[in-house]
Amino acid sequence: MRARAMVPGFVVAAAVTCAVSAPLAAQEENALGREVYDRWCASCHGYEGLGDGYAATWMLPRPRDFTQALYQIRTTPSGQLPTDDDIMRVINEGMPGTTMPGWEEELSLEERLALVDYLKSFSRFFAAGEAPEPMTFSSPTRATEEALAEGREVYELIECNRCHGADGRGDGTSSPTLVDDTGMPIYSVDLTENWYFNGGGTVEDIYQRLRTGLDGTPMPSFTDLIDAGVITDEQLWNLSHYVRSLAPEDPPGITEVIRAGLVEDAPLPEGVDDPLWESAEAFYIPMGGQIIESPRWFVPQVAGLWVRALHDGGELAVHVSWSDHSESPDSAWAGFQAQVLSAVGPEEGDMEPGPRPDGLYLQFPMEIPEGMDKPYFLMGDPLEPVYLWHWESTAGAAQEADARGLGTMAPQGDAGQSLASEAAFSAGRWAVMFRRALETGDPGDLQFRVGEPVPVGFAAWDGDNGESGSRGSISSWHYIFLQEPTPATVVVAPLIATLLTAGLGVLVVARAQRREREGAEGPDEGDA
Amino acid sequence: MNTKPWKHPLGQAAIVVVLAYLLFEWGIWLLPPLFGVASAPVPATVVLQYMGTVVVGVLIWVSDSEERWKQFKAPIHRVMVDPRQKVLRTALMVTIPLLVAFMTFDRVRPTVSAPAALRSVHPAPPGQIDFRGETMVLNGLENPLRHEGDLEAHYEEGKRIYVQNCMPCHGDALDGQGHFASAFNPAPLSFQDPGTIVQLTESFVFWRIAKGGPGLPREATPWDSAMPAWEDLLTAEEIWQVTIYLYEQTGWEPRTWEEEGAEGEEH
Repeated sequence: MRARAMVPGFVVAAAVTCAVSAPLAAQEENALGREVYDRWCASCHGYEGLGDGYAATWMLPRPRDFTQALYQIRTTPSGQLPTDDDIMRVINEGMPGTTMPGWEEELSLEERLALVDYLKSFSRFFAAGEAPEPMTFSSPTRATEEALAEGREVYELIECNRCHGADGRGDGTSSPTLVDDTGMPIYSVDLTENWYFNGGGTVEDIYQRLRTGLDGTPMPSFTDLIDAGVITDEQLWNLSHYVRSLAPEDPPGITEVIRAGLVEDAPLPEGVDDPLWESAEAFYIPMGGQIIESPRWFVPQVAGLWVRALHDGGELAVHVSWSDHSESPDSAWAGFQAQVLSAVGPEEGDMEPGPRPDGLYLQFPMEIPEGMDKPYFLMGDPLEPVYLWHWESTAGAAQEADARGLGTMAPQGDAGQSLASEAAFSAGRWAVMFRRALETGDPGDLQFRVGEPVPVGFAAWDGDNGESGSRGSISSWHYIFLQEPTPATVVVAPLIATLLTAGLGVLVVARAQRREREGAEGPDEGDA
Repeated sequence: MNTKPWKHPLGQAAIVVVLAYLLFEWGIWLLPPLFGVASAPVPATVVLQYMGTVVVGVLIWVSDSEERWKQFKAPIHRVMVDPRQKVLRTALMVTIPLLVAFMTFDRVRPTVSAPAALRSVHPAPPGQIDFRGETMVLNGLENPLRHEGDLEAHYEEGKRIYVQNCMPCHGDALDGQGHFASAFNPAPLSFQDPGTIVQLTESFVFWRIAKGGPGLPREATPWDSAMPAWEDLLTAEEIWQVTIYLYEQTGWEPRTWEEEGAEGEEH
């Protein structure tokens, strides 16, 4: 409002020259917007709105540069400014999958409205023209089998797979070439994790992003394909349903305990593709960057692991899978990796680009702890070492290892190795299986026991993202629990309790009725 | 005969028991947050204990007067003997044993849970710490930067340190909701929460930042915490600056040593 009330001649001239940073008069008027912005936003987006705040070089993607007036999440056509509601939405909900949080709870409506005006005042484009008009979107089609099948065809037809990959995991052939408008490397999103979609993960969100494109990123708008008659609007809805169907119904919850199911009537899985894994319960382990000890890593690519476990009383098999853009080291990604490493800045020490493998470890204490005690969650310490199952994409079989702190991992000698493993990379997904006897007789190994929770931690590396050593993602301690055979009491105890209660009830009622028939004394005696 | 249920002793007893259950199970947990006071669910065993007390109390009250006791029993007796109540009687005699069966099953079925961690969130701080080879006495220690230099500049520097180091876990809004927060258990503290820094002196906060997870005493399970020991990465001045930022940004006042002393004498 205030912005548009400014002198028109000045506005037009400014819009043409597109000067970058000088704050406008509107900013002087909007004291509340400035106060809120300086207090909460400037540390990432910079006091001048240039996206160059203190934390900017720690982040990929970088914070938005508001002077460019380039907004990803809009309801307006590609190349146009966002509406006030569009800006408000991102302030409210944040940008999932980036470092931008939602501010709906933190800031009052008045503060957020002032903030919308203040963000717009960083660019002269907003003051220059008409208020942007949102597109009109059609109503969703129904997500029938046919709709999903057609959506899958459209996915191939308009070449979503070139960036997002055959199964939507972001491993398409063009993926390693992607940069955003600021020249920073940008990953094509993993469509199986819709809770990380920048503009929201619902079918409507997906459809709108397909119509508007994500300006500033390589993700285009497909409205022109509809206008040109290449695809229909209905087909775009079906594509949206298909994309939505690639992710689970709900985002995964976080579980502290991974249950290893007992397999009694079949052999334990031999490999990663054994059909038995499909029926095993899957647990999601969220991962965070290793930012505890230097050199730290703020831009990890492995955001979470899916873990399944089964045992047969003699052996334990663990299946870990996660999305990965590439089977590192993949030479197609060498340039991308170099860009990532130069983008994360020199604060944590320089890192030379070069081929690095993908990796994974499972970490256990040396023995099942008594009470609460555990080794330090980040690979133990000199006094309390940890026991590890370590796999690397270039090293063949996984190995048992020990560690006494970050960066001290050492494989056990050949004689101590008792771990079987198999790994497979397919369509943007790693699956790694470990299998080991519960009891090995090796004093250097953890000995598993059925029915007792065993602490377990995880770490993972994406080599083509420049990760190795202390630069990777880690988890806290979780537990793995080897399920016991169902004890007989589970059936017997409720049966006995039922019989006792029912019998007692029958007795009490029968007695009361008998007394009632005998009648003389009245109902008020006895059965208390 | 047809009195209102809340005027009949049986109805009153039932209402008291149900209300008490709702209060223990949900009220204690959900009501205080409406007034800005932190709360937590009451453990099932404690609810059971409280309910036992309530039931005994109700029984004492109904059996206290002969008249009330008769009134209380009458409907129960009627259901047991009255031929017209046969449907209700049969229904109760089926559902009650089934309920008992279900409750027993719930108790004996094998459950998988992590071992209970009785973790102390705010353990007692040590009297003094060793910071980069120098002894710092925490007892009575104030934030020196509150009287030294430009507070505004300290705040700004604290902001830089915070977003570059603390934000990924503790969040831009200092609410413990950083983008890595879900990976770590125990969860990163929310400094907005009235149970955290507002309860603490700045020297306590300095100790927690400087020594991090590894510097916690055993009762606070140092092996679980993802909080780094910042003495390896930040100077004492930087830690004091980020402490100023935490209080300024949340609007909380740090606890002072006078209050601490007064508290101590009361106990």
